[in-house]
Amino acid sequence: MSRVNDVGGQTGFGELRIEADEPPFHADWEARVYALNGALLRRGVYNLDQFRDAVERIPPQDYLAASYYERWLLAIESLTAELPDG
Amino acid sequence: MADPAFRTGDRVRTRTVDPAHHTRLPRYARGHVGEVVADLGRWPIADESAGGAPDPAAETVYQVRFAARDLWGAGDHHVTIDLWQSYLSPALSPALPPEGEDAT
Amino acid sequence: MTAEHADSRIAVRVARLEERLVAAGLTDDAELEGILSRTLQGASPANGARIVARAWTDDGFRRRLLADAATALPEVGLSMRGGLKVQNLGVVENTATQHHVLVCTLCSCYPIGLLGPSPTWYKSEAYRARVVREPRSVLAEFGLELPDDVEITVHDTSAENRYLVLPRRPEGTSGLTEEQLAALVTRNGLIGTAAV
Repeated sequence: MSRVNDVGGQTGFGELRIEADEPPFHADWEARVYALNGALLRRGVYNLDQFRDAVERIPPQDYLAASYYERWLLAIESLTAELPDG
Repeated sequence: MADPAFRTGDRVRTRTVDPAHHTRLPRYARGHVGEVVADLGRWPIADESAGGAPDPAAETVYQVRFAARDLWGAGDHHVTIDLWQSYLSPALSPALPPEGEDAT
Repeated sequence: MTAEHADSRIAVRVARLEERLVAAGLTDDAELEGILSRTLQGASPANGARIVARAWTDDGFRRRLLADAATALPEVGLSMRGGLKVQNLGVVENTATQHHVLVCTLCSCYPIGLLGPSPTWYKSEAYRARVVREPRSVLAEFGLELPDDVEITVHDTSAENRYLVLPRRPEGTSGLTEEQLAALVTRNGLIGTAAV
């Protein structure tokens, strides 16, 4: 079914917020999430399409409320929930 | 449909299917006619790869160009979208008879 | 909850996730540090700028780039390999009558290897929703007013082809070196939200 991420053409998302010279990551945790995702993809724990799928299946209200890397965190948590704790 | 089914310049129609699974045909482009502008080669189908298939089937991906006027009824720009072959079917001109029928 | 408080709670969750994954043997600190440093050092708009400057000064390279960008990239010491997934590159050239702008309406696909991590606005619903529908007004918000006779094409990056815009070479730059030309190219120019 049509998912919350499929926003092309929709209205109501408000103004563009353009930050001049923004850094690649706005907090250390964002960079950690980025790196974790890279490591898990490289290891084959999941593939990029499964990752996108997991992001898309975040409940719509949570998806829209979450920042970009928070969505990544939610997706990675759900994709790795089954893993043993070591 | 044999792969690759389309060539640059062909007019194609996107499917209207609204699948339950991950797909890469945006909703705004469903059921619309566009023109193939490039053959981007064969790629594993995202829909299947997202399901965890270890060796997903691959299909040709085409860059398809749509007029904004067709997509939204307004706009003087164009939008291109990269679409797997199974998202597309030929868009025959209404002036042509359906395949298989006599021209007479 | 304040933004800072929320942020620190997320940081705790990230730390817990990392602990769990390291304990499961799926990664380690060295690998994570390596991924970050490779991205931050190796990938930046300077790469895209280098491609553009070469295309502006070498017409053979420009034609090869437009015909098959992945094959031409090694000529400037760059490559589409080395990423997590095999991807191809399509370079789209702005002209006097054509302007190109990039988006990924479905998520945030972006040529990270060439440009570094994408800006927040590129990943926002506001951009992804609007640019395919009203590109002219979106570009105006970036300060880019295009004449009416310039046709705009928006490229929605929906598969594993990545795009890069080849901006028009600015007037009055014929005396500049390739390095000086590269310094004129901005990240927004490579995405299509600026003229150069």
